[in-house]
Amino acid sequence: MEKHETELITFKVQRYDPEKDNEPHFREFTVPSSRGMTVLDGLIYIKENLDSRLAFRTSCRMAICGSCGMLINNYPHLACHTQIEEFRSNTLTIKPLPNLPIIKDLVVDLIPFFDTHKAIKPYILRHDAEEMENPTTEFAQSPQALETLLQFTYCVKCGICISACPTSASDKLFVGPQALAQCYRYCADTRDEGEQERFPIVDTDHGVWHCHLAGACSEACPKGLDPALAIQLLKRRVVSRAIRLGRKQQPSSKVPPPTQTKPKVPFPEFTVKGAK
Amino acid sequence: MRNTYLWFVQLVTGVLIAVLLSIHMVLMHLDAILGFFGINVNDPTSWHSMIQRSNQAIWASLYIALLVVVLYHALNGLRNIILELTPSVRTERIVTWAIIVFGIIVFVWSSYVPIALLSA
Repeated sequence: MEKHETELITFKVQRYDPEKDNEPHFREFTVPSSRGMTVLDGLIYIKENLDSRLAFRTSCRMAICGSCGMLINNYPHLACHTQIEEFRSNTLTIKPLPNLPIIKDLVVDLIPFFDTHKAIKPYILRHDAEEMENPTTEFAQSPQALETLLQFTYCVKCGICISACPTSASDKLFVGPQALAQCYRYCADTRDEGEQERFPIVDTDHGVWHCHLAGACSEACPKGLDPALAIQLLKRRVVSRAIRLGRKQQPSSKVPPPTQTKPKVPFPEFTVKGAK
Repeated sequence: MRNTYLWFVQLVTGVLIAVLLSIHMVLMHLDAILGFFGINVNDPTSWHSMIQRSNQAIWASLYIALLVVVLYHALNGLRNIILELTPSVRTERIVTWAIIVFGIIVFVWSSYVPIALLSA
C-alpha cells in the first residue's frame, strides 16, 4: 500500500468565549495532515490532542447533517466536505460563519435561522385538513413536476447561504436565501395549497424583494443548490398571483392507494427504561 | 401584497425609463443623424427650441411622464437601500413618508415650468 506523506499545517482558529473574552482572537495549532484529510479531521485532531476546550459543531462527517459550516480561508464551507490539500497552503484560517451570532469559538447560534425557516411553514399545506390527518387517497406527482423543485429539497440547513449573502450581512431582518428557497420549494409543489399563507411572510420590505441577485448563496452552497434561482422563480410566482397573469399550477391528481401495502413497521420499544 | 406592487411598478418604470430616456437622448444628442433622415429639430439644446417644445402638449406630457417614472424608480430604490441599512419598523414609516413628501415637492417644482408654459 502506498504510504502518503504527512505535512504540518498551521490551523489559525478564531477563539471566543463570551464569558471570558471581550472580543474574538486567534490561536494557532500545528496539525499533521495527510492526503484525504478534511478540515474537520484537523479540528478533531486539535480537540483530541492539543486543546479540548475548542468548540465546534459536527455530527455526520459526510455533508448531510449541515452542522459543520464554518469560514475556511474566508469562504464558507462544510468542514467535513473540504479537504485540507484543496487550499494548497500551509496555513488555514478558520472562523465561525458570519451573519450569525457566535455562541463560542466556531459555534454559531442557528436559532434565528431555524425560526425563519419554520416561519415559512416548510411542509405541505392543504385546505382539506381532515384528508391531511387521515388520508384516503395518494397524491400523484409526475416526474416533470418533481423536477421543478427537486434540487431545493436537498437543502441541509447548514446556514452557509446566509453567511455568504451580502444582503443578510447588511439587513439583519432579511428572510434569507435558505427560507426563500424553501418557500419556493413548497409553493411549487403540486400537492401544496399554502401559497396564500406563505406569501405574506416573504412579501415584506425585508423579504423576497430585497434579494440583490448577487448569487453568492448559489456559489457557496455545498450541496450544489441554486437558491438565487429559487428566489427569482418565487418573485415571478408572487407577481403573477398579484396581477393575475401567468399559468396556474395544475394540482396533483388523487389516486386510490395500492390495494396491497406493506404493513407499517411497529415503533421499536425504548431501550432506556422509563423513557417516553 | 403592497411590496409586490411596489416592486412590479419598479420593473415597469425601469422599462419606461429606457424608452422615454432613449427618445430624450436621441433628440438632444443625435440631431445630426435625425437631420440626415429629414427630421429637423433646430438646435434642440437652445433656449428657444426648449420653450417651443414645452408649448407642445405631446412634448410636455412626454417630459412630465419621464419625470414621474424617474422619480418613482429613483426614490423607491433609495427607500429600499435606506430600509436595508436601517432595519426597524419605526424607521420604515419615517423613511417612507419622507420619500413621498420629497417626491411630491420635486414633482411640483419640476413640472411647474412646462405646465405654466402650456397653459399660458
